[in-house]
Amino acid sequence: MTLLKVQGVTKEFVTRGDGAMARKSTFTAVDDVSFEVELGETLAIVGESGSGKSTTARIAARLLEPTKGSVVFDGQDVTRASGKELATFRNNVQVVFQDPFSSLNPRYTVERIITAPLTYQGIAPANGRRAFTQELMERVGLNPDHCRRYPAQFSGGQAQRIGIARALAVNPKLVICDEAVSALDVSIQAQVLELLMRLQRESGFSYVFIAHDLAVVRQIAQRVAVMNRGRIVEVGTRDQVFGDPQDSYTKTLLAAVPRINPEWDAKRRQAR
Amino acid sequence: MSDELFVVDNLTVTLPTSRGPVDVVKNVSFTVGRDETVGIVGESGSGKSMTALAVLGLLPRGARTSGSVRLDGAELLGRSDRDLRSVRGNAISMVFQDPLSSLNPYYTVGLQIAEMYRTHRGGSRSAARKVAIEALERVHIPDAARRVDHYPHQFSGGMRQRVMIAMALCCSPSLLIADEPTTALDVTVQAQILELLAELQSTTGTGMMFITHDLAVISSIAQRVLVMQSGDPVEYGTAEQVFSDPRHEYTRMLLDAVSRIDDEVLS
Repeated sequence: MTLLKVQGVTKEFVTRGDGAMARKSTFTAVDDVSFEVELGETLAIVGESGSGKSTTARIAARLLEPTKGSVVFDGQDVTRASGKELATFRNNVQVVFQDPFSSLNPRYTVERIITAPLTYQGIAPANGRRAFTQELMERVGLNPDHCRRYPAQFSGGQAQRIGIARALAVNPKLVICDEAVSALDVSIQAQVLELLMRLQRESGFSYVFIAHDLAVVRQIAQRVAVMNRGRIVEVGTRDQVFGDPQDSYTKTLLAAVPRINPEWDAKRRQAR
Repeated sequence: MSDELFVVDNLTVTLPTSRGPVDVVKNVSFTVGRDETVGIVGESGSGKSMTALAVLGLLPRGARTSGSVRLDGAELLGRSDRDLRSVRGNAISMVFQDPLSSLNPYYTVGLQIAEMYRTHRGGSRSAARKVAIEALERVHIPDAARRVDHYPHQFSGGMRQRVMIAMALCCSPSLLIADEPTTALDVTVQAQILELLAELQSTTGTGMMFITHDLAVISSIAQRVLVMQSGDPVEYGTAEQVFSDPRHEYTRMLLDAVSRIDDEVLS
């Protein structure tokens, strides 16, 4: 079942040119982008800075309105949705951001942060806020006894788990991760990726996973879309895109990824 | 004195905290030869950047150091700030992670390179300007004679990092400390900067201390590797030894974390 359908989406930003007398000009951040996400799958959108991947994610999350094109979620056109329609959409689509600390209110307790989506939707959890929070904290691997603590009392990896728990509070069908593990150390990154995959297995929702790190994408995604200068230059299954890239930009991108000397790595694995 | 250009011997850095002094770098020893790149790798909080700052005497106030840091046989630890000023940017220079916050937005890049040069070498403004243009050419900035008069914001991230490298190398230092110099860059740009650093090193013979959290980057640029964890040096050896036959559990865990992600990737 197709959960999300992004069709011919274009986003233009109006910029002021250089100098005082410069005329306004428009900058096309996303240029005629289309893709679909099936229920339960993970689509990764990769690209370098300025490729338009985050703008695309924000449009899919309805945090930005596209200049052209449409966003269809669960059969409903939500491109210009507002009011109740938009609220329903927000109940189904949640976002996990890159920097856990700037996306968590430092003056709220974890309990208040995790239950915030419910508060905004006017939903009261059946078993009470405390029990609801603690259950979610346990699901994302946090100590439920810490539900009265503040974000600053957690490490980066733990704070990102709080962000993930918040996203899951409304039982979404789609979770959009915008560079969700980029700010984390590599050992923590591996743990959070594992958590994200486990949660998907348990709940069956979809991910749109925005990342610049190809190694991370390779681990989590079933399908991959490569963006360059506002356009999707290649989309395919993970194995197609990584194993047999067609587009020249994809090839350049893959070739540029630094890797551990393969001879050394093979030797190390053999020794174990 | 053999080829050992730079020697760090039993370096310990202690920072005062509200809960008493904490050793953020503990008994770290390594050497950098001429022409050689030593990679220092670790996760956040491992003490890798503190090690670099200690070398240059740039630690926060109240920090205490012990051990020895020698460049060409001369002790650097415990020297006065004034004394070290003639070393920094001259015999040892440094490239940081974020070029935008290490360049002054109010001055053209040419003026900033020239200032660095004149501080250490003196000479006229016009001579220094020439040096700046040559330095920009050396790091392959196209149209250097025109670009020298541009401001930092007029350069892309990768080009800005080239400017930083040009500035770091304009006094022909014998040691270059690069602290996460490619971390903020896109992967295709990162590849270009790594290539540039290797090229410049082969022409100038500068020793390099390369600090990063990225094991794959280290593997492509360093001949020797020091792995740090919470201030402790956990493993030190040739790159080949550390990557193919890691002795320490933590190194193995790090390499596993990378290659699990990397598995059969891009093979």
